[in-house]
Amino acid sequence: MPQITVNGKKHKVAAAPDTPLLYVLRNELDLHGPKFGCGLGQCGACTVHLDGDQVRSCSVPVSAAAGKAVTTLEGLGGEYAKARSVAVLESHLHPLQQSFIDEQAAQCGYCTNGMIMAAAALLAKTPQPTDGDIREALADNLCRCGSHLRILRAIKSAAKHMA
Amino acid sequence: MDGRLNEPHLGRRHFLKGAGLLAISFSLSGAMPGLGRAAPAAPKLGPYGPAADELDSWIAIDTAGFATLYTGVCELGTGSHTALLQVMAEELDIAFDHAKLQPPDTNRTPDQFVSSGSRSIAYHAVPIRQAAAEARHALVAMAAEKFKVPAEQLVVENGVVSVTGAPGKHVSYGQLIGGRQFDLKVTGAVKPKDPSLHKIVGTPVHRIDIPGKVTGSFTFAQDVKVPGMLHGRVVRPPAHGASVIEIDESSIAHLPGVVKVVRKADLIGVVCHREEEAIEAARQLKVSWSAWADLPDMKDIHQKLREVPIYAPGIPAKYPGGVIAKDGDVESALTGAAKAIKATYESPYHLHGSIGPSCAVADVRPDGVTIWSATQTAYGLREAAAKFLGLANDKVRLIFAEGAGCYGQNGADDVVIDALVLSQAVGKPVRVQWMRADETGWETYKTARVTDVRGGLDADGKIVAWESNAWGFSGYSRPEYHEPKQGGEPGSLVTAQLAGWTTPGLEEGFNGIALESAPYYTVGSKHVVFNYLGPASHRQGPIRMRVGSMRGVGSPDNVFMVESFIDELAAAAGADPVEFRLKHLSDPRTIAVVKAATERAGWQPRPAHSASAENGDIRTGRGIALFGGGKETRIASIFEVEVNRKSGAIRVKKVTVAHDCGLIVNPDGVRNQIEGGVIQGISRGLMEEVTFDRSRVTSLDWASYPIITFPDVPDEIDIVLLNRPDLPAAGVGEASTKNVWAGIANAVFDATGVRLRRLPFTPERFKEALAKQA
Repeated sequence: MPQITVNGKKHKVAAAPDTPLLYVLRNELDLHGPKFGCGLGQCGACTVHLDGDQVRSCSVPVSAAAGKAVTTLEGLGGEYAKARSVAVLESHLHPLQQSFIDEQAAQCGYCTNGMIMAAAALLAKTPQPTDGDIREALADNLCRCGSHLRILRAIKSAAKHMA
Repeated sequence: MDGRLNEPHLGRRHFLKGAGLLAISFSLSGAMPGLGRAAPAAPKLGPYGPAADELDSWIAIDTAGFATLYTGVCELGTGSHTALLQVMAEELDIAFDHAKLQPPDTNRTPDQFVSSGSRSIAYHAVPIRQAAAEARHALVAMAAEKFKVPAEQLVVENGVVSVTGAPGKHVSYGQLIGGRQFDLKVTGAVKPKDPSLHKIVGTPVHRIDIPGKVTGSFTFAQDVKVPGMLHGRVVRPPAHGASVIEIDESSIAHLPGVVKVVRKADLIGVVCHREEEAIEAARQLKVSWSAWADLPDMKDIHQKLREVPIYAPGIPAKYPGGVIAKDGDVESALTGAAKAIKATYESPYHLHGSIGPSCAVADVRPDGVTIWSATQTAYGLREAAAKFLGLANDKVRLIFAEGAGCYGQNGADDVVIDALVLSQAVGKPVRVQWMRADETGWETYKTARVTDVRGGLDADGKIVAWESNAWGFSGYSRPEYHEPKQGGEPGSLVTAQLAGWTTPGLEEGFNGIALESAPYYTVGSKHVVFNYLGPASHRQGPIRMRVGSMRGVGSPDNVFMVESFIDELAAAAGADPVEFRLKHLSDPRTIAVVKAATERAGWQPRPAHSASAENGDIRTGRGIALFGGGKETRIASIFEVEVNRKSGAIRVKKVTVAHDCGLIVNPDGVRNQIEGGVIQGISRGLMEEVTFDRSRVTSLDWASYPIITFPDVPDEIDIVLLNRPDLPAAGVGEASTKNVWAGIANAVFDATGVRLRRLPFTPERFKEALAKQA
C-alpha cells in the first residue's frame, strides 16, 4: 500500500501503485483542485508539484510520488507561508492566488489549477519573468475561455508582490 | 467570500427521500447566510418548480438581513451569477455582500429555461430585477405601517429602512421579514429603479466564484460526490453509425473492481468501485461492432453540403424557401452594376473544446431520481430525463453544478443519460465523466458551412446589389427549446439515440443558424437565402456529424461572410474599408462603435493593401470587422496582424474593440467576456478544424485539435465600452467572437493582398491562397 505525503500530511492510500496520482488526490484525499482535463498530459488541468517541480498528475503513477512531497492547489498557500516562516493559517493564499482574485483572472476556472501551479513553479525558479518567459512557461497549459491576458497580468503582479 | 449557496441541507424545501441525499460532499465557503437562522417555509412546487409569479419563489430574506436569490440561470463560467446578484442587491438596496445565490435546483428554484444565447442578463435578469423591486416595495410598506408614516418619508440603505428626519426610527429587512415569507404575487406593478440611481449595477464587483476556484474549494459538477457513489465510463462505437454485435465480458474478467457491464441498445458502459478501475475496464472491454463508413470524404464536405436535400420542415413559415430577405431584383441590379464581384466562404466543423470533459452523477432509486449536472437547462433536462426513464417530472430532481466553460452545447446533457442508464442498472449512485476522446468525438459541433455571395457597385462606389446563399445544418440539439417554453425531450441527445430512444428531439428550425445572415448595411436590391439542412447527429441525418449550438450559433459564419464581402466590395470600390462601411450604415449605435474603435486604434483612412512600403517576408496589416443593427449588441473591432509570407504564419498582434451592449451590469465582467470571445475566435479562425475519416471524427485530443496557446495570444486587447444605462442590457458572450474571422481575413488582405475565404487560416491555407493569387 503506497504512502504519500501531500501538503505536508502523510497518507496511506488504497489505490494500486500504477494508479495515476490524480485519482488518488481527488477521490481518496478529497483534493479536487487538480482536475481531469485530458488524461494525456496535454492540457495541464491536473498539475501538481512533486518536490517543487510541476508534473501532470494524470500521467504520474501514485508510486512515483512515494518519498516525495506532493503539493496541490489546496496546499500551495500553506507551503509558501511555511517556506517564508510565516505562521500558517488555514486561509493562507499564495500571492498567485491573491493576484488571480485581484485581476479576476478566470472565467470558468477549470484550468485555473494548472495555471497557478505552473506559474508557481516558474516563479520559484525565475522570480522576475518577462512576458515572453511566462508565455513560454505556460505554453502547454490550455485555457479555452480566453483568460490568457488576465492570467499573464496576474502572474506579473504576483511576481512583483513576491519580490 | 463565496456567495453561492448550494448545500442541500440548508435549503428551505422538501427533499426527495432516500439515504445519502442529504450528505452530499459539496465543500462550502464560510459566509453561509441562514445558518442557524430561521429560513422561510417551503413554497409549493409545480411541475416546473416554484411558481414564477410568487415573490417567495425568487427571494428569501433571513433574520440577519441576507437575501438569497433563487435563480434558474445556470452559471457557465461567465460571471452571470455575480451579475444577477448585483441586479438583485441594487433593486433591494442591500449591500452586495448580503446578496447570496441558490443555483438551479428543480426542488428550489424557478424555471428560467435555457441559459444560452448570451441571454443570462439581457433576458433572465428581467424577472429577478422585477421580483427584487417588488420585495423592496413590500418591505418599505411594512416599515411605513410600523412607523405609521407614508412610504414617501422612508429611505432604504444597506437593507435598513429609516424615517427621513427621525434618526431613531429605523428597522432592518431582517427585523421586518427575516425568516418569513412575503406571501405576495409578482404583479409587475412596481417600477424598477431609475438607472441614474444605480450604485451596484455598473460597478466592477468581484466575482463570487473566483476565490473558491483559485483555492480548489469550489465544487464543479466534476467534483460532486455522493455517499456510496460508484464510477462509470462509457464505451462508444468506433464508427458513428455502428451497432453492437457482441460484448465479450470475459475480456475484463481479470480486472479489479468491476461491478457491472451495462448495455442499453448501443449505449455501453462499465460501472466500477473506483474511477481508475472504470477507466481501465472501459479501455479493455472488447466489443464487436458492425462496420459503418458513410461519412463523406472530408475534402468534399463543402460540396456535399450543397447536395444535401433542404430540410423544409425546419424553415419557419415567414421565410418560405429559406428566404431571409428579399428586396428589389438582384439579377437586374447586378447586370446594371458598374462592377460586380462574387465570392465563396467556407468553414469547417468546430469543437466547443471544454477543458473539462462532461460529467454527471445520477442516483436512480425506486422512490425517486436525483441528478447532478452542468446542464444549461435544469428543467428541460429534468423533463427529458423523466421521459427517458418513463417517470413523472416530480419523481426527478435535477441539481445544477457548474461545469467547465461550455460555449454552447457540449456533452453536459448527454452524459446525464449515460449516468442514468448506469445508475439504474446497478441501483446505486453513479458518476460518469467522459474521457477526452468521448467529449471531442461525441459532443455537438458547429456545422461546417458554405456561402456564395454576389454583389454589385454603381459608378459612385455605392452597393446596389447583394445576394447570398448559405448552406448548413441546425444549430440546435438541446433537450429544451431556446425560446421561453417549458418542457423537455431527450431525442436530440446522442446518448439517448445510442440507447435506442427514437422519438425525435426538439427542432428549432433555422432561426439560430441563419442568424445575422442578412447584411445590416444598405445594399440596394438584396436576396438572402439560407438553405437549411436540418438537424444532424452521429446517429441521424444525411451527414452523420453531430451539430449543435456553439457561441453565436450561425452568427460567426454569417458575419464572416458579411464582413469579408463588404471588405471585398470596399476594395473593389478602391475605398477605405471604414469609410465604405460608414457610407452604407444607418444605425447610430453601430456607427458609434465604428467611430469609437477607429479613433482608439488611430485608424488612418486608405484603401486596403495600399500601404505596401513593406518588403520581405514579414508583412503587417490592419482590418476592421463589425457587427450591428437589430436590437443586439453592436461591436466594431480593429485587428492588427503580422503575416509571414514565406511560412504562411499569421499572428494577431493587437485587437481594439468598441462594444455597446446597452446597460452594463458589471464592466469587468463584460471586458472578461470580450477578451475571451476575441481569443477564442482567433483560435477558431487560425487553427481549428474537426477532422474525420469515412467512419468517425479523428481529431480526438489536443494534439489533433490544437487550440490557441499563450505564445500565440495577442499582445493586447484594448476595449472601449460604450455604456448605455437607459437602454436594455443585451448579450455579451457571443458578440465579440462573431466578427473575429472577418477581422483577421481583412487584416491579412491589407498586409499581403491575399484574400482568405476558407477557415481555418492555417499556414498551408495562406500559402495555397497566395499561390492561387500569383
